[in-house]
Amino acid sequence: MDPQLTEVSQQFERFKAAFARKDYDTCSDLLSQLKVLLTKFTSLPPLFESSPNAAQELTIARDIYEHAVVLSVKTEDQDAFERDFFQLKPYYVDARNRLPPSAQENLILGLNLLRLLVQNRIAEFHTELELLSSATLDNPCIKHAVELEQSFMEGAYNRVLSARQTAPDATYVYFMDLLAKTIRDEIAGCSEKAYDYVSISDARQMLLFSSDQELLNYVNEEHPEWEVKDGSVVFQKAKETAPCKEIPSLQLINQTLSYARELERIV
Amino acid sequence: MKDNQTQTQSLVSATTTTSTLQHLKEIAALIDTKEVRRIARAVRLTVGLRRKLSGSVISSFLDFALVPGSEAHTRLSCFVPKGDDMEVDTASSSTSQAPPPPPPPTELEIYCYFILLLFLIDQKKYNEAKVCSSASIARLKNVNRRTVDVIASKLYFYYSLSYELTDDLAAIRSTLLALHHSATLRHDELGQETLLNLLLRNYLHYSLYDQAEKLRSKAPRFEAHSNQQFCRYLFYLGKIQTIQLEYTDAKESLLQAARKAPIASLGFRIQCNKWAIIVRLLLGEIPERSIFTQKGMEKPLRPYFELTSAVRIGDLELFGNVQEKFSKTFAKDRTHNLIVRLRHNVIRTALRNISVSYSSISLQDVAQKLRLDSVADAESIVAKAIRDGAIEATIDHKNGLMVSKETGDIYSTKEPQTAFNSRIAFCLNMHNEAVRALRYPPNTHKEKENEEKRREKKQQEEELAKYMAEEDDDF
Repeated sequence: MDPQLTEVSQQFERFKAAFARKDYDTCSDLLSQLKVLLTKFTSLPPLFESSPNAAQELTIARDIYEHAVVLSVKTEDQDAFERDFFQLKPYYVDARNRLPPSAQENLILGLNLLRLLVQNRIAEFHTELELLSSATLDNPCIKHAVELEQSFMEGAYNRVLSARQTAPDATYVYFMDLLAKTIRDEIAGCSEKAYDYVSISDARQMLLFSSDQELLNYVNEEHPEWEVKDGSVVFQKAKETAPCKEIPSLQLINQTLSYARELERIV
Repeated sequence: MKDNQTQTQSLVSATTTTSTLQHLKEIAALIDTKEVRRIARAVRLTVGLRRKLSGSVISSFLDFALVPGSEAHTRLSCFVPKGDDMEVDTASSSTSQAPPPPPPPTELEIYCYFILLLFLIDQKKYNEAKVCSSASIARLKNVNRRTVDVIASKLYFYYSLSYELTDDLAAIRSTLLALHHSATLRHDELGQETLLNLLLRNYLHYSLYDQAEKLRSKAPRFEAHSNQQFCRYLFYLGKIQTIQLEYTDAKESLLQAARKAPIASLGFRIQCNKWAIIVRLLLGEIPERSIFTQKGMEKPLRPYFELTSAVRIGDLELFGNVQEKFSKTFAKDRTHNLIVRLRHNVIRTALRNISVSYSSISLQDVAQKLRLDSVADAESIVAKAIRDGAIEATIDHKNGLMVSKETGDIYSTKEPQTAFNSRIAFCLNMHNEAVRALRYPPNTHKEKENEEKRREKKQQEEELAKYMAEEDDDF
């Protein structure tokens, strides 16, 4: 066996041991060493040079990056997640014909979809979605994320929150918790516009707080413009749709002048 | 003459062969002038002859254009299938009488590749076409002449087409990128335009929207040279924008692509319309009925018409049925994911209908009408619709009611003014673009336009129209 490959696989075994012990600091150290070692393999993307051990090298590299992604979830580091995922992606897309599919693939793709949802990067979410085949879309991990996005867009927030219980894998819980925070802000934004007032207890339920005090703190920090009086929260509505009394003269003058200029060019 | 001994059938074919060959020789003379405009015309004329090409015509043309026995000649003629003995005989006898021609210009050699490719693709010999086009691309790399650009851009197109037909597009991506690179360095704008579109097509074929957008936003842009290429560019751009949720821009691009496309290119316009319909639905607009009844489009757009009706009524059940019924079509058009996004628009429309009809309605009833599972769902969905401005209402949480607001007098706001303004801006923009799109061939003001020239011009225009129609068949 190739000495480099042996070195990498030994290092990787140590990494996996540390990972099982939940010793994440050691894991991160080992991972950076592993990544340096991987740069010496020429069979990996983007070079894809053919070498006798290409299949083995690709498999172990993919395995390492898959672990790296899961590790970043455990250490709750979203930037690292993004980096590692992008390094992993070529193995799923470009190396598809060179390798047998990975068992982890759908899990990781689902995680990534969830991350994009949490970060409210919906455009990228849909771009990723286009890459998946219809068979992949039926996979429970992917389906979970896709349904979340739909409920989120519709505004059925309860469904999003109850989806936490049906998360297909333990790693999903981290993102689901983050999603709950995003949803609280969304609900707050919607309530502000939709209600004139709600009682404190209803508001507490709607915004998913366990005590009135937490709610009051939240109102003070995030929405100081809300008023709490007589046992209810009163939303100050900006009356933006009031009929305009003033004529927007400057704007009108500008528009009319530009029409005149364009007409002159035509005539 | 040998012709006398043959059956009448081959006599007929021989005469058409000679006339086609004669045409080709005239075209070759045009190319010999080494004027870009004439070469462009030669390419157009060739496409007109496309149906008449046959193995014997090609081989005799090769004998005529290239020195028999030269390297280029052997390389090219190995792609030509051997006809029956008779025809080969006539072909060789005609060359033996001709005096040995001087070494052919590069333009003519490249043109031979082009005509051979056309022939191979029409004969459905895709694998040969692949080999031939790859050889032509290799030859083109060493040629740096502006006069070749027109033919080269055609070669790029057929190069990509032959790989697409054999479902091997990913293999040529890096070659296309390298070609685009050198076209940019050589200021070959037509080549850049063509290659950029081919690359976008290549990426989108594999749904690599991210890469496509990155390339598109970084590639140099300039005034379009060819209307067809520009239409394609707009279509690809519209697709990318749709996926990335920039619906307003996407609608603009797609509608423009559909409008600019030549009438004859039905397939392309149908594609544009399909995407444009979905984008408009996603924007909350309802496309006019006339779009679906355009000539030749009624049948292919049928699934989208039923989809539109479902969204317009706001009936979730009907929407689900349509989705089910045409799932194969939608999967083939690769619009399935977009249609899933539409569900939320259906709910919106239904809510809007409810809020217009009732001044106040219990959330329970709303949930029932929308076929939602729980009142809590209905409440948050209504709340979101209010925030997004889809409906004008408030929620009375204590009594579980949705209370619609009186719609104010819209004419007391700035709304009509802005709508009017955007329409005027659209018209003015359209006029400016039309003026800019007029093309003036160089030095026309010097030439006196006499009767003959005018006739020639008219003929040229007809050719162009015909050529566009042919071109779009390939699409």
